[in-house]
Amino acid sequence: MSVGTGTAGTGTEFSAELFVQGAELPPGIGPYRLAWRRLRRNKAALAFGGVFLVIVVLCLLAPVYASHIAHTGPNDNHITEMINVGGKPTSVVSLIGIPIGPTWHSKFFLGADPNGRDIAVRLLYGGRNSLEVGFVATLITMVLATIVGLVAGYSRGLIDGTLTRALDVIWAYPVYILGVALGVSLALGGIGPIHGNSLLVPAFVIGFVFIPYVAKPIRGQVLGLREREFVDAARVQGLSHLRIMATEILPNLASTIIVFIPLMLANAILLEAGLSYLGAGVQPPNPSWGTMISDGVNNIPAAIHLVLVPGIMLVVAVLSINVFGAGVRDALDPRARVRIGR
Amino acid sequence: MRRHVHTALIAVVALGGTLALAACGSSSKSSSSSSSSSASAKTGGTVTITFGTYPDSLDPGAFETTQAGEADQPVYIPPYTYAEANGIAGTKIIPGLATSLPTISADGKTYSFFFRKGLKYSNGQPLQASDFLTAVERSIKIPWPLGSAFLVPLIQGAEAYSKGKSNTVSGITTNDSTGEVTIHLVAPYGAFENALAFQAYSPVPKGTPMKNESANPPPGIGPYKFENIVPNVSYTEVKNPYWTPIPGIQSGYASKIEAKISSNTTASALSVLNNTNDVFDWADTIPPSLLPQILAKASDRYKKLQLNSTYYFFMNQKAKPFSSMLAREAVIVGLNRPALARLGSGFFVPGCFFLPPLMAGHPTGAPCPFGVNPNATGNITEAKKLVQQSGMAGQPVTVWGQERSPRRQFVDYYTQFLNQIGFKATEKIIADATYFPTTGNLKLNPQTGFDDYNQDFPNPIDFYGLLLAGDAITPVGNLNTSQVNDPTINSKVNMLGSLYKVPTSQLSGITAEYETLEKYVADKAYEGVFGYLEAPEFVSDRINQSVLVFQPINGYWYNTFALK
Repeated sequence: MSVGTGTAGTGTEFSAELFVQGAELPPGIGPYRLAWRRLRRNKAALAFGGVFLVIVVLCLLAPVYASHIAHTGPNDNHITEMINVGGKPTSVVSLIGIPIGPTWHSKFFLGADPNGRDIAVRLLYGGRNSLEVGFVATLITMVLATIVGLVAGYSRGLIDGTLTRALDVIWAYPVYILGVALGVSLALGGIGPIHGNSLLVPAFVIGFVFIPYVAKPIRGQVLGLREREFVDAARVQGLSHLRIMATEILPNLASTIIVFIPLMLANAILLEAGLSYLGAGVQPPNPSWGTMISDGVNNIPAAIHLVLVPGIMLVVAVLSINVFGAGVRDALDPRARVRIGR
Repeated sequence: MRRHVHTALIAVVALGGTLALAACGSSSKSSSSSSSSSASAKTGGTVTITFGTYPDSLDPGAFETTQAGEADQPVYIPPYTYAEANGIAGTKIIPGLATSLPTISADGKTYSFFFRKGLKYSNGQPLQASDFLTAVERSIKIPWPLGSAFLVPLIQGAEAYSKGKSNTVSGITTNDSTGEVTIHLVAPYGAFENALAFQAYSPVPKGTPMKNESANPPPGIGPYKFENIVPNVSYTEVKNPYWTPIPGIQSGYASKIEAKISSNTTASALSVLNNTNDVFDWADTIPPSLLPQILAKASDRYKKLQLNSTYYFFMNQKAKPFSSMLAREAVIVGLNRPALARLGSGFFVPGCFFLPPLMAGHPTGAPCPFGVNPNATGNITEAKKLVQQSGMAGQPVTVWGQERSPRRQFVDYYTQFLNQIGFKATEKIIADATYFPTTGNLKLNPQTGFDDYNQDFPNPIDFYGLLLAGDAITPVGNLNTSQVNDPTINSKVNMLGSLYKVPTSQLSGITAEYETLEKYVADKAYEGVFGYLEAPEFVSDRINQSVLVFQPINGYWYNTFALK
């Protein structure tokens, strides 16, 4: 371990801090605790992580907002109703189908859509749907990709070959085309007992198409890990292959998996928005940020809020996950230098 | 041409009703009836029209879409055509290439007419009576998409010819020296005169290839001919130098009509607003966001045209909950028709009767059933009560809808409405191309969903015979999606029903019967009608609107495009 001391140029020694290479850890400080310390120092990552947390909390509070503030549900149409805007009675949707813009009041705070539905309420409920699909899809991707990558990398031979070729086939399809094809066909009939309108359908589709993007790097890492001496030692001790994968190799993949999670979550949310925009994701009338953008595209000249509001929300959510994820990746990087207070 | 695509039908043999000229004026939003005043119209010049969709085929024996019908209308005049007049006057059938209305035998199964003498195709070839047989055989071979409804099942020998069992259509005989054509039908079909007004029955020269020649369509007899066709991009029509004037058919003002495709309807509408293009295609939708601008800057060259198109929610009588009349009545009573009109960007006239306003038999001025006011927002309280009384409260309902706007928005509203009045409704939105084949499959037995019907021709049997007759229910391609099977209706509009057999020329005599039937259908709440489609007429300030004619079947008569 290299230890450095320094002076502040005034002749005063300061010895309270040690500069260490990440690979050389003083006893009692685990790598994850070290990573957490690094992350804490990354103010930008924490700030964006906080933003994402705020978005999640707001979306979880959608029913509260809908019933206590907006007094309407996400699918309630108010096409021919009148509301007071600036003291003037105004149609929620005009005779030629133009919806009202933001009122900045409790009712139709961010305006209405062509069906007279409250945009703010749909934004929050849509966020719930988008985030739910994103999280479930990420979970599906990570679990299945880890299993596939682990088994393929460890087994090698025929099993590895078969699994890798299967991944190549999925990877060969452009993500959106495959997503649309699966989304449209499954939306009609569902998957087994799962109804076509269920959010699990787009979650499954998105989770499935992203498997190769995680499985292949994991497989690559496993190929290296399986040759390490601790794996040899485990084999010599007579542990089964399953036990070796679970207890020796899997823990060493944790950092990789953790780094992938925010990355895949951001991609899953983006893909969900794209598929919903194309009609292959969340099914109407359920809102999602993608369906809201799709609903608003034809009205851009007269009602741009229909596109801007969900679009900005989508950008902020994905950006915050990406910046936070980058911070997590940097924090887990074993080559990073770090200061450790004594 | 129709927006609602026909699929295969079982043998439809019908006696049509006669075409009514009953004054059936709709609201002031409909196109005003105007007699063409050619005095102020300039001849010559080029008129440009923008389309959002290219014609599916410019070949008269192969097309189906309105864009194609509109292009072919002045190029291929059939034996019969429609009066060049706006509004209901434009639904009157008149002789085209034929000298007069057909002679119909007493049993209604034989039609005969004579072609006018001296007519020539646009390539100078003279017309012969036998060219009619060529056109019919060609339409069967290609095949013409609507041939399964309006050609093959009607004419004797057409079925055998279509299956290759015969080398001609035996039911058509022609005499080139006299110009006579005789057509023997399988059974009486009163609307056959309307069928003879389809471009598929326009004669084409012998030797025309028996395949779809969209990029190089055959010569026709009409005021215009095609020139410079660039598939999927543009086409041009110019005056036909061999055109012989026919009474009732304008010989054309503009020297050239240029049609261009632009999928960006916003850009198309702006180009007409800015006078860089002359005509906005009525079958496209003007983006609602542009309407305020158009109304502010160009209200003198914009108006709404009434179409013969009914929009409704079908309600399957064979499945819960709409097997209950009270449940159906709840929908009729509670629907907010003005809201649906707004979803359609205001291009709707709210209504409750099945036939559209420009169709003979529409009971103009009659009150809607159940005390409904189509211009009011709907009685939700009463609707909820009716659902409770029906015993169907809480019944799960799948609502079918199409992807494209505003049809999807209609279904969004309808689903929310059904939930509001006490059902448990969920939406199922599917791709446009598969929608009608899906809802038309009886195995699926869809409970309810969006539906619409645009006339094939201005004869009420077109609506009743395919959408409300019991014998029109078919296992696949079913258009009677509500599965209405009412003996009272069937006795009149089933095959060989009393109204079915009446020839087109006698339609005015049975208009009152259709009006009675309309009220009966409405009282039974068989269909959730919510309105009739309108279309925009939007032209540049170069166009002389006083002579412009819009025909509800095929759209603008290009031979009435004139510059000021």
